[in-house]
Amino acid sequence: MYFQLAWRNIWRNSRRTAVIMIAIVIGVWSMIFLSAFMRGMEYDMIKNGISTLTGNIQIHQKDYINDPVIENSMHSPIKLETALKKVLPPVAHWASRIRVNAIASNARHSSSITLVGINPIPEAKVSFIGNAINNGCYLKPGDMRGIIVGQALLNKFETKVGHKLVLMSQDTDQEIASRSFRIIGTFKAQLQATEKQFAFVTITAARQMLKLKKGISEISIILPDNADANPVATGLKTELSADLYQIQTWQELLPILNAYIEIFDGFIFIWFIVVFIAMGFGIVNTTLMAVFERMREFGLLKALGMKPWWIIKDVLLESFLILIIGMIIGNLLAFLCVFALAQSGIDLSAFAAGAEFAGISRIIYPAVWIEDVIISNIVVIILGLLVSLYPAAKAARFTPVEALMHT
Amino acid sequence: MNSKVISTAALALFAVACLCIDSPAQDARTLVKAGFDYMRGKSSFSMVDMTIHRPDWERKMTFEAWTKGLKNSIFRIVAPAKDKDNGTLKKGKEMWTYNPKVNRVIKLPPSMMSQAWMGSDFSNNDLSKTDSLIDDYTHTITGTRTHDGKKVYLIKSIPKPGAPVVWGMQKLKIREDHVFLAQEFYDEDFKLVKVMTTLQIQMLGGKMFPKVWRMQKAEATDEYTELNYKKLSFKENLRDNLFTISNLKNPRR
Repeated sequence: MYFQLAWRNIWRNSRRTAVIMIAIVIGVWSMIFLSAFMRGMEYDMIKNGISTLTGNIQIHQKDYINDPVIENSMHSPIKLETALKKVLPPVAHWASRIRVNAIASNARHSSSITLVGINPIPEAKVSFIGNAINNGCYLKPGDMRGIIVGQALLNKFETKVGHKLVLMSQDTDQEIASRSFRIIGTFKAQLQATEKQFAFVTITAARQMLKLKKGISEISIILPDNADANPVATGLKTELSADLYQIQTWQELLPILNAYIEIFDGFIFIWFIVVFIAMGFGIVNTTLMAVFERMREFGLLKALGMKPWWIIKDVLLESFLILIIGMIIGNLLAFLCVFALAQSGIDLSAFAAGAEFAGISRIIYPAVWIEDVIISNIVVIILGLLVSLYPAAKAARFTPVEALMHT
Repeated sequence: MNSKVISTAALALFAVACLCIDSPAQDARTLVKAGFDYMRGKSSFSMVDMTIHRPDWERKMTFEAWTKGLKNSIFRIVAPAKDKDNGTLKKGKEMWTYNPKVNRVIKLPPSMMSQAWMGSDFSNNDLSKTDSLIDDYTHTITGTRTHDGKKVYLIKSIPKPGAPVVWGMQKLKIREDHVFLAQEFYDEDFKLVKVMTTLQIQMLGGKMFPKVWRMQKAEATDEYTELNYKKLSFKENLRDNLFTISNLKNPRR
């Protein structure tokens, strides 16, 4: 009986109901869509961060993070390898690198870069570089003179593939080591900053330039499907002595990224509250109006013997129906939007410079997190019912005499 | 007897032929080396006015320089008072600078080697890698000119493969009495990047020497750095302890 009563009451003033329903639809849609957008951004930043030479876990000599110089390299890679083979799941990939700061120069320009000596074949499975070559070719193992630079660096240096680039850095004898390389290819990265920062040579060429016998600067590990890095890191920590090595997960390596993600979480939460406050006032207002309009009716019901609690139930059920219908439409709309954009992504090229500053890539693919959807729906329904309690209580307090006096 | 003569002659001819094939490159290299030795002397002391010219400003400073061979040199600014006692020490490929205001000696890291020296058009690399021209390049004589009644060799220097030099080519003009007239720096597309020319060749320190050196960027004609030798004397030998960090900080001469 309640349901029928509430349902018919809703549609007595269909325009008013439609307006408040639209408010709920827009609110729910914006909660879900915006959180999907933010999650997409977040996912992208993590993916970018991990593939830009970070990996899920990194191993360094213990002083390397504080002082990334060639002296702080790891000199017994074989020991590391056995430990890795023991601890890592078989599907994980890892690559060792030499990474030092260097100066690249040609006849007209010079700029500070990060020189990365890589093992071309394992590296391709670990970081972005394997499939980021847009010009020329990728490094072959044992290439002693080839270098791969970012497209942006190439443009900045006004040079082209096939030309020379002289690199200078400090070698293990603390002397200035310089070596000329030939640009054999360029890579494209999500961020221009990455393109300008990294230059890749083979690990053998880097060793020869820096007079390093068989040491490496870091090992980067990729776990399948971005699995939780912490248990693996703990496993590695028991295997490798903490006096010699430092093992870090990406959360520790990229603290800024971690902070960003927390800010995102906070932002989504604040957005939920803002949307809800706007929506909540709308709901209270409309329901209150609907209640006052039917003052005589409620008085009559009371006179006929309806208990106040039943009236509260009736008003709450009316709000509940409006909320549920609004939520269903809002969810559907949001999923449709996300689905429509899932293929092409949201192109931010127009704001590329600004997005770049925040470390966000040019195209964002919204990602729906089921937690966000559930939370936004729960927030709407519970708080929606809570705010409707006020008009409901008001309606329940009408006495027949008051109602009859009210004309 | 006859056959012996013929064989000797053939041998001689062969030797000459070898020399002919081998000599131009060898010749050019000796020419460059001799030029360097002549310009640097065994050791030298000089006092130089440096003018840095830019379209909207110009700066002048005076420095003293001591050199020993190709490896060692030390520079100290004497004027203007603001920059007085700033110094640069070069030993081999390494360089240090000293700033009296903060009383610090800084060893130039690789990152600073390509920066301008004292704001001029010379880079730290230009100073520290002077001798790389001799060893890192293959020189060939491409022609001759006459200048003030003397023969001038035009030399094209191409970097050896793998040599850590940024230039694609250098062109030198060296007079037969070993005076450098010009040094042109080209990029890998053989486009001119910068030129150093020498002017006012006269008797200085007991030999013919250009009084004015000018380094100019090819693209900007109103940007140049000019060195003007006020004093120059060549010495047989300078004490080794002149070229030390402690001397850079506390001049004792």
